[in-house]
Amino acid sequence: MLGTLILKEVRDIFGSTKFVISFSVCAVLILLAFFTGAQNYQAARRQYEAAKAENLRQCDGLTDWLMLRQNRIFLPPEPVAAIVTGVSNDIGRTVEVTGRGELSAEDSRFEGEPLFAVFRFLDLEFVFGVVLSLLAILLGYDAICGEKERGTLRLVFSHAVPRATYICGKLIGSLAALVPALIVPILIGCLVLVLMGIPVDVNGWFRLALAIGTGLLYFMVMLVLSIMVSAMTHRSSSAFLAMLVVWVMSVFVVPRAAVLLAGRAVVVPSVDELSSKKAALNSQLWTQGRQAISRWTPEKTGGDMEGMMKQFQDMMEKQADERDRKMQELAGQLNEDRANRQRVQQRWAFAAARLSPLASFSLAVTSLAGTDLNMNDRFAAEAAQYQGDYAKFMKAKTGMVPGRGMIIMKGDAGGGAKPKPVDPKELPEFQHRPIALAGAVETAIPSIGLLIVWGLGAFITAFWSFLRYDLR
Amino acid sequence: MTDSPYLEAVALSKRYEDGVLALDRVSFGVRPGQIYAMLGANGAGKTTTINIFLNLIDPSEGEARIGGIVTHREPLEAKAHVAYVSENVMLYGNFTAMQNLEFFARLSGKHHYSRDDYHDILRRVGLSDDVHYKKVRGFSKGMRQKCGIAIAILKDAPAILLDEPTSGLDPKAGWEFCRLLESLRQEGKAILMSTHDIFRAKEIADTIAIMKEGRLVMEQPAGELAHLDLEKLYMEYMAGHNGPMPAEA
Ligand SMILES: Nc1ncnc2c1ncn2[C@@H]1O[C@H](COP(=O)(O)OP(=O)(O)OP(=O)(O)O)[C@@H](O)[C@H]1O
Ligand SMILES: [Mg+2]
Repeated sequence: MLGTLILKEVRDIFGSTKFVISFSVCAVLILLAFFTGAQNYQAARRQYEAAKAENLRQCDGLTDWLMLRQNRIFLPPEPVAAIVTGVSNDIGRTVEVTGRGELSAEDSRFEGEPLFAVFRFLDLEFVFGVVLSLLAILLGYDAICGEKERGTLRLVFSHAVPRATYICGKLIGSLAALVPALIVPILIGCLVLVLMGIPVDVNGWFRLALAIGTGLLYFMVMLVLSIMVSAMTHRSSSAFLAMLVVWVMSVFVVPRAAVLLAGRAVVVPSVDELSSKKAALNSQLWTQGRQAISRWTPEKTGGDMEGMMKQFQDMMEKQADERDRKMQELAGQLNEDRANRQRVQQRWAFAAARLSPLASFSLAVTSLAGTDLNMNDRFAAEAAQYQGDYAKFMKAKTGMVPGRGMIIMKGDAGGGAKPKPVDPKELPEFQHRPIALAGAVETAIPSIGLLIVWGLGAFITAFWSFLRYDLR
Repeated sequence: MTDSPYLEAVALSKRYEDGVLALDRVSFGVRPGQIYAMLGANGAGKTTTINIFLNLIDPSEGEARIGGIVTHREPLEAKAHVAYVSENVMLYGNFTAMQNLEFFARLSGKHHYSRDDYHDILRRVGLSDDVHYKKVRGFSKGMRQKCGIAIAILKDAPAILLDEPTSGLDPKAGWEFCRLLESLRQEGKAILMSTHDIFRAKEIADTIAIMKEGRLVMEQPAGELAHLDLEKLYMEYMAGHNGPMPAEA
C-alpha cells in the first residue's frame, strides 16, 4: 500500500508540467552556480598569482632587505569558497605586512568590483536558499489540499487506505521524487568543476558534499513544511499564501530582525569610540609628560652639559616607553572587550536567526565552505603568524625589525665591494590552510541539527494534522 | 432477495457543526442483488448518507453498516467491502486512464490484474481503445465518469455506492450505464444509488426511496410504482402533501 502511494506520488510529480518547468529552471540555476563559481575561481586565481608575482618583483634589484617597502600577502582563492561565497567577497584579501604593528586586510572583491556587490553572485547558497525553497513551496503547497480540491482525495479514501499510510506516502513520495531529481544537476555541476580543471582537494570535496547535503536537507525541510501547511488548509490558495508568508519570514524577516535585536541587546562600542578613548589617553599621557619635563631638574648640576643631555634623553626615552606600554595596554583591553562583546552579540544574533530555516542553512553551509564570519579572523590569525615569521626573517637579515611608517636610512658602510642583490626566494612564504573538515563540521552542527529538528517537527505536524483532516 | 441487507442505515442522523440537521433518523437496507435508488431535492441529505457509509464523516447518531461492519467503528474494514462512484469523478490528471485504473486497483489490494484486464474493463464501460493511453486531464466529464465506474468494477466489492452517477452522461452512455448496473446486480452486488433521474431510477431500481430534508419520506419497491406516475408522486412529496413514510398501500 505504502509502495503504491509512493510510486503514485513520484509519477504524479514527474508527470506534471509544473514540475517540468520549475525544475528545469532550478537545474539551469544550479549548473550556473557551479559554472560561475568555477569561472570566478579561475579569475581570482589568475589575479592572485599576478599579485604574488608583483610582490616578488619588488625585490628585483634590491641589495638590502631593509629597502623592501611593501611586503604583501594575499588570501588565495578557494574552490569551495567560490561556490558558496559567504563573506569571501566582502573581506579584504590583501595584507601589507611589516615587522610590527597592527595588520589590516584590504582590497575585498566587492571593493574592486562594486557592481557585483549590488546583486551579489549567483552562488549555491542563493540557489538553494532562495530558488530551491520556492521550488519546494511550489511543488508542496497543494499536496493535500489540492487533491481535496481536485476531488481525488475522496476517491482515494473510498478505498481502505489508512490516513497514516497516505500521509507518509505523500511525504516520502515527494521527497523520493524531488531529492534524487535535484542530485542530477548537482552531480553535473561537480563534473563541470572537474572538467574546468578546478583543483578541489579531498577536504574540499568533503566540505562541498556536506554543504550540498545541507542544501538538500534545507530543501526537504521546506518541502515538508509546505506539505504540512497543505495538510492544515482546505484551499490551495490559502496554503500558498501561508507558505509565502513563511518563506518571506524565513528568508527576509527573521534573520534581519535577529541581527537587529541582537544589535540592540548587546551594545558593541564602535571603532570610532575606541579611537577617541585611545586619543584621550594619549593626550593625557602627553600632558603628564610635558608636566614631568617642566618639573625635571638634572640630578647633579656639575655644569656637565653632556651628562645633563644624557639624563634628559634617558628620561624622555623612559617616558616614551611608558607611554607606549600604557597605550598598548589600553588598546589591548579595549580591543578585547570589543571582540568579546561582538562575540556575544553574534551568538545572540545567530541563535535568534536560526529560527529561520534559511538562516540555519546559510550558517551551516558557509561554515562548511569556510566562508562564514570567522573567515576574516582566520585570515587575520594567519597573517599575524606570518608577521612573526617575517619579523624573524628581517631580524636575521638586517638586524632590525622594521615597523610601519619607519624610515630607514643607512649609510654606505664600506666603499669598494659591489653589494649583492637579495634573493626574493628567501622571503618567507605566506601559508594559508583551508579550514579543516572537523572544525567546519563542528561549527555547522548546531545549524544542521536545527534543520533536522525543523524537518522532523514539520513531518510530525503534517502527520497529526492529516489524521484530523476533513477529507470531503 | 431473501437474505439480509448488506448495506444498512440504522436510525442514521447527522447534524453538522453549524447546526444543520442533514439526516434525521434515516433507516433502510440494501440486499445483495438489489438496486436501491434514493431520490430527493438538492440538499436532501443523499450525499451526507453516502459520506457516512464511506466514513468521510461520522454520524451524529445511529450507524451505517456494510456487511454488518459499522463504518465509523471499523472504517478500513468497511471500506474494503464497498466501491464508490462520485457524482463528479475526479482522477489524477497527469495519469492516463490505464495508470489511474492501475493505481486504484492496487489501492484496492488487487495486484493480479493484467494490462488486458484494464483494457477489457475500459471497453466494458464504453471507452474506446484510442483513449486508454491518453492523460485523463483532457477527458470530458462523461469519460471520467466511465473511468470511475471502471475503477469501481475493478474493486470487485460486494457493495457499490453511486452518487448521481449518470449526471453528465449522454443518453447513450446513460443507457449503457444502466445495462452495466444491471449486470452488476446480476453478480449479486448491493447497489445504493442517489439520483435525480426519476425515469432511470424507475427503469432499473428495485426499490425507490424519496428523501426530503434529511428524512426518508417514501420507500417502495419499484415494481409497485410501475403503473403510478412516479414524477407526480415525487412532486407531491416535495410539496409536502404526503406525510413521512406512508403505510404501505
Ligand atoms: N460540511 C457541511 N457543513 C454544514 N452543512 C452541510 C455540509 N455539507 C452538507 N451540508 C448540509 O447538509 C444538507 C444535506 O446535504 P447533502 O449534500 O447531503 O445533500 P444532497 O442530497 O446530496 O444534495 P444534492 O442533490 O444537491 O447533491 C444540506 O442542507 C447541506 O447544506
Ligand atoms: Mg449530493
